[in-house]
Amino acid sequence: MINQPESRDLLTEARQVLLDSVAPELAGERKYQALMIANAMGMAIRELEQREQGEPEETDQTVRAFLAERSLAVTSEEAEPALARVIRERGLDGADPALRAVLRRLTEARLRINNPGYLKP
Amino acid sequence: MSALADTFSTFIAGQSGARSARVIDFDKLSGGAIQDNFGLTLELEGGTRPGIQEFVVRQDAPSGVAESLSRPQEFRVLEAAFKAGVTTPEPLWLCEDTEISGQVFYVMTRAAGSASPRKLVKADFTEEQRRNIVRRLGAELARLHTVKPPQESLQFLALPDSDNPALSRVALYRRYLEEIGEPHPVLEWALNWLEDHAPEPGPTVLCHCDFRTGNYMMDDDQLTAVLDWEFAAWSDPCEDLGWLCCRSWRFGRDDREAGGIGDKQDLLDGYREVSGVGLDPAAVSYWEVMALVRWAMIALQQAGRHMSGEQRSLELALTGRMVAQMEIDLLNQIEELEDGR
Repeated sequence: MINQPESRDLLTEARQVLLDSVAPELAGERKYQALMIANAMGMAIRELEQREQGEPEETDQTVRAFLAERSLAVTSEEAEPALARVIRERGLDGADPALRAVLRRLTEARLRINNPGYLKP
Repeated sequence: MSALADTFSTFIAGQSGARSARVIDFDKLSGGAIQDNFGLTLELEGGTRPGIQEFVVRQDAPSGVAESLSRPQEFRVLEAAFKAGVTTPEPLWLCEDTEISGQVFYVMTRAAGSASPRKLVKADFTEEQRRNIVRRLGAELARLHTVKPPQESLQFLALPDSDNPALSRVALYRRYLEEIGEPHPVLEWALNWLEDHAPEPGPTVLCHCDFRTGNYMMDDDQLTAVLDWEFAAWSDPCEDLGWLCCRSWRFGRDDREAGGIGDKQDLLDGYREVSGVGLDPAAVSYWEVMALVRWAMIALQQAGRHMSGEQRSLELALTGRMVAQMEIDLLNQIEELEDGR
């Protein structure tokens, strides 16, 4: 069994110590490294949060439903590789607003983890 | 470090015919995962460059990866650009004898100022200064683009493998994506768009291919050197302008299309003033889309170097996580172009 506090809590606290106490004492290359570490930890924290909220399965379901509506059934394959393959094979109209909405959904799901600040407010 | 300074100093004294050389300053410069750049200040007695001289020595890092031009090739490109009147460090001496420092290296003059993109984008320039900087960037590219194939000294640069450099790029990036293996539907979609919207190609010219804010030195509002020539290639002139204007290189100033500094129209005007050629702004916009795809490819490859164990690095790993930024920019930018915004 996993001990409490859980890993997200540990990571969050560790990142806060790094940012509040350690990084201000550093300069130059070392400071840059500390900020990179905080950035990486932030991504890991957000990834855990997203998992708790049902990702990446939820986004996968959206892609799957989109492909199914166009009779492009996904079997054993995960939905995203299937989507990439069908686009490359020109099996979808690139101008289709529904396709663009799915692409946006996929990208926003990644940005919520990698860089939420880059999402439009 | 000081042994290395002496090695370079002896080499420079020999090349310049100086009677003696005294090391005044030697330090490793920042930037460049593939190359090491050293700043070396010498006092030379006699020879072709007497007096206190500031040099930069550029050599392969021990973990060097041959994904771009080799140092000797880069030296030839730098010579060609310098001869064409581009503001670059003056290329002085190439040393291909690895017995000397352990690596191939070359020596060039050191330019004044800073290449820091954040500093430049945040600088408190007047509108007129911005206009002048951006026009100068256009003028530099116009001079570079006067170099056309074939060139005896640049035979190592491959010509685009189709009549249209844009379509060559699309084919190349599709191969990259296949090799990377990770699915990227947005990049596949953008590549289709690029294939379907390729403009009429311009002339094939020598392109820098990494001409962006961060890769040129500025001393206050004066450009002192265009740096980092290792990605130079024969391509369409608009590739260089598109790369400079790409959203990824505006460093937070999305409203200043030309490198986060100023207006695209000033860039085109500066280019026309020197070359007499009026480039099509739509073609530059097209190459901005290409630039986003290319940067995404580079980021994926950098992450790949980390994941394969070839070069474990937090910085490379984090670069891989930036790809979604390029992807959302692609979705936005292509839609804006279609809407005629």
